[in-house]
Amino acid sequence: MDLAAVHAALAGKSYSSIAPLCDDLFLQAASRGAATDGWPYAVHLLAHLYLNDLNSARFLWKSTPQEAKDARPELAAVWRIGQCLWNRDYAGVYAAAQGFEWSPEIADFVAAFLESYRKRIFQLLTSAYSTISVADVAHFMGMNEEDATNYAMQNGWSLDAAAKMLTVVKPKVKTNQKLDASKLQRLTECVFHLEH
Amino acid sequence: METVETLVAHIQGLSGSGEELAHLHNLLRQADGEPLRAHSAALLPFLAQLHPSAHSLGFLYLLEAFASSASNLRAQGGGDFLVTMADFLVSCSAEQIRLAPDKVFKNEVMQLNAPIRGIAPLRAAIRKIQTSSEELTPIHADYLLLCLLAKQYKAGLSVLEDDILEVDQPKDLFLYCYYGGMIYIGLKKFTIALDFLHNAVTAPMSSLNAIAVEAYKKYILVSLIQNGQVPSFPKYTSSTAQRNLKNHAQVYVDLSTCYSKGNYSELEEYIQLNAEKFQSDNNLGLVKQVLSSMYKRNIQRLTQTYLTLSLEDIASSVQLKTPKEAEMHVLRMIEDGEIHATINQKDGMVSFHEDPEQYKSCEMVEHIDSSIQRLMALSKKLSSIDENISCDPAYLMKTGRERGGRFDYDDFDSVPHKYF
Repeated sequence: MDLAAVHAALAGKSYSSIAPLCDDLFLQAASRGAATDGWPYAVHLLAHLYLNDLNSARFLWKSTPQEAKDARPELAAVWRIGQCLWNRDYAGVYAAAQGFEWSPEIADFVAAFLESYRKRIFQLLTSAYSTISVADVAHFMGMNEEDATNYAMQNGWSLDAAAKMLTVVKPKVKTNQKLDASKLQRLTECVFHLEH
Repeated sequence: METVETLVAHIQGLSGSGEELAHLHNLLRQADGEPLRAHSAALLPFLAQLHPSAHSLGFLYLLEAFASSASNLRAQGGGDFLVTMADFLVSCSAEQIRLAPDKVFKNEVMQLNAPIRGIAPLRAAIRKIQTSSEELTPIHADYLLLCLLAKQYKAGLSVLEDDILEVDQPKDLFLYCYYGGMIYIGLKKFTIALDFLHNAVTAPMSSLNAIAVEAYKKYILVSLIQNGQVPSFPKYTSSTAQRNLKNHAQVYVDLSTCYSKGNYSELEEYIQLNAEKFQSDNNLGLVKQVLSSMYKRNIQRLTQTYLTLSLEDIASSVQLKTPKEAEMHVLRMIEDGEIHATINQKDGMVSFHEDPEQYKSCEMVEHIDSSIQRLMALSKKLSSIDENISCDPAYLMKTGRERGGRFDYDDFDSVPHKYF
């Protein structure tokens, strides 16, 4: 099995390319009947989680041989993160990711995953809430209350210290509404085509 | 009967031009079956004399004859044989194996209980056998089945994303749609899954088939998860399907009736009562998803009535225990883009919004534009098929006879009225 490409992607921190790369290599290796003992299941699984592709992660876990699951605590630890994601146990994700001593190859990858996850959750909070308690923000973001408040304030939220409530300020989304003439032209042609 | 040696000599001699190949194909067909199989155990050394890419057709016949005996497979431990097959599918000549596409096999990997080993080779084989990406080959369904068995759902997408417009055997189409639907269900892409199952249910059929029945069961369940109701059959559904499908899926039809009442505990009870039937159809997991979609459906229904609503009221009207639970459900739905709402924790209220998409951004125009292009291409395709059929002698004979040989005035009126 030639895992050079996977290692290169890990070293180059191009994490989002790892999942498709692993999928393909895995199928190729399987068609040669190669033993999958040395397969980096943990990296493969984490790569799916990084892309928030929980279904693929779930199926990978289901098809992983039991011996690998038993013999590799790191793989099981990655799957614990996956389980929390699947059950939408928002705070559990941080606990699972931080509660394990990751090996050096994968530690950076886990950190990058956590970083992108935190961003995604903050985005979700921004779009879903107009006011939210400090305790809940800390819970969702896996931080203590002080850090969470600071993080939110940096993103423009305002704090009502008495009620311990944060007011969410939604950033204005700028959409590109400028149309170039060629598109209008094509739509016009379409309508013309339909009418005649 | 010729000996295997002469056959091999023929294969070596006749793998050149198209004519030679046709002749060789005849010879091979004669030899196939009993004569070749009798020697199956001794075939392996002969394979070494053939070149996979130059003598693909002969190679394929010999391989298949070899694999036809299960004891051969087992004696080989399957390992080397599968590697030979995989190599062959990757390096063979496309024109040659196109002559015998039904020989490309999944049974061997299935017998050896290693579906994952067949995926990469079969994917290569599909691309080889296809003359265009719009063609459905007999091995499409095999490939998808292997993907399902090996839990490599994403690998299935690579063939499912092509638009299929040319179909040879109806069974291929039914299986393709059914397995395709299952793959999309596994990936929780219910809208596309629904399309696939819908095609299996509404495809023309003169007599009922088991694939359509199973597809219909899943179609009901996915419709409930995705839309909360099951649409009635469209007009173009075959009358066989319209008349019979419901009788074969009575438990599922009743489930959808029960679902439409919108009562969580009632539905739960019904499912528990019939759990065994769902289990024996291997649909229990999907049925459970139907049950949990009930909360979602009821919350969505609230958004149509109210602009703002307290979390407490939401909890009580959709039968959730605590306001916090309701909040998590709403949050989950916002995350999945199923409703547009904001939660106000200070007052414990949720306000529902309209869809913020204003259909005037660049991406949206791009999206609409590409859809229009696709539809225009499709309609061109349709009218060309229509033309082909109306020129088909068999079709003309049949329609002519049904009308008893009389011709109506309309038959001569080929120019639409509006041009008069």
